[in-house]
Amino acid sequence: MTRISPSPGQKIIYLLLILLGGFILYVDINTNNFKNIKNGFNSFKISSHFLIKSFSINPIIDFKNHFQYKDRLIKENNQLNIALEKSYVEKYVISQDSKFFKDTKFLEDAANQNSINKPYHIAQLKKLDPNIFNCCDKHRMHIQLLTESNESFIEGVVFNSAGIIGHIIHDKNYKEVILLTDTSHFLPIKNVSEDFFCNARGSGTSDYVICNFNPLVLNKEIAIGQNFFTSGLGGIYPKDIKIGVVEDVRTIDSNNTELNIKLFSNPMDSNLFGVINF
Amino acid sequence: MKNYIKIIFIIAFVNFIELNISIALSRAYIIFPLTFLCYSYYVYKSDENINPIEAFLFGLFVDLISNSYFGLNAILFCLITYLINIYSNSFKLFSYLQVCIFFGISAASYVGFTQLIINLYNFSYLTLLISAIFNTLFCIIIAISSMYSGNFLNIRR
Repeated sequence: MTRISPSPGQKIIYLLLILLGGFILYVDINTNNFKNIKNGFNSFKISSHFLIKSFSINPIIDFKNHFQYKDRLIKENNQLNIALEKSYVEKYVISQDSKFFKDTKFLEDAANQNSINKPYHIAQLKKLDPNIFNCCDKHRMHIQLLTESNESFIEGVVFNSAGIIGHIIHDKNYKEVILLTDTSHFLPIKNVSEDFFCNARGSGTSDYVICNFNPLVLNKEIAIGQNFFTSGLGGIYPKDIKIGVVEDVRTIDSNNTELNIKLFSNPMDSNLFGVINF
Repeated sequence: MKNYIKIIFIIAFVNFIELNISIALSRAYIIFPLTFLCYSYYVYKSDENINPIEAFLFGLFVDLISNSYFGLNAILFCLITYLINIYSNSFKLFSYLQVCIFFGISAASYVGFTQLIINLYNFSYLTLLISAIFNTLFCIIIAISSMYSGNFLNIRR
């Protein structure tokens, strides 16, 4: 069948729709007006995924396990795995104890809230799109606390057994975490001798953050393999937490040198995370 | 209406496949916009002109399910619909190879535009070039396979 070319009226509609699309795109990039729609859809997707899984795949798996008399063993194994991951997270907090809890006022506050034994919360990974994490600028993940809590976790630091992952930016049922590798994320860092400070921007690729500085202003030799720590200047992250190691030093031009810092922590390494408010 | 629901389900399913295979392909510097290509194929094979509002809404739906910025796919779906509608009769004069090159280049343009919006800091011409070659080859393979194995991809309005 022959198709006719779009009429002038249709062409105008195309033009108007493209302009409308451009406007929506501009609004979405520059504001957070569509955040609720996206978060609602993501929540719906996650919930329906778990619901469908719990009604379709899980019963079949359970039946199979029951049939094979291994269900108890599998449950125990899962519990042990969770306990092991929890212990890794706890171990990390203990190893960083003096840094995380250096502020004695924080300890007093925690004691007043009867949470001195566990001043941090354990959260489970709900959604991390590996596709986005491996390619794009926007690196986010969603987590859910295992324990009920009424306190606000906005700007709460999220960490796993290897180190800091990022911080919470939206605190709803599922908490949205901006990762250190997100290109809109800036992390104030410093070197061991505390004579070099900079803001490390997320690289948009997994495992790396980038630190740009002017060598004419900061005349400091940075060697490959040098460790970097949080400086605590941003007010979100505690200071003196080991973040990563310099893997590459590139001179862009006479005014700009770029440090490629490989992070110690990777959010894809674990399913459980610690969340702490400072 | 039934047809629209069918197309929506196909788009959602294809988008799910695209998201799953893109991790492996990204290691080879390839971005494969399968949803966009499938939608283009649907417009190309359609007997009637696709309504611009329909194209816009399909684009918004893809934006929602692929977690990208709203409006990004809406614009690109509108543009490709417009282009295919304009050249729908000219395509009949073209060889399969020319049509495949057209779709390959439009897929590469899609990749370039989306990368400029969502992945500006790591924009790579290498990825763009390899993706253009890969997408054109994919279109050629699909054209050849549909020629030799019948109309197994017959999605019509």
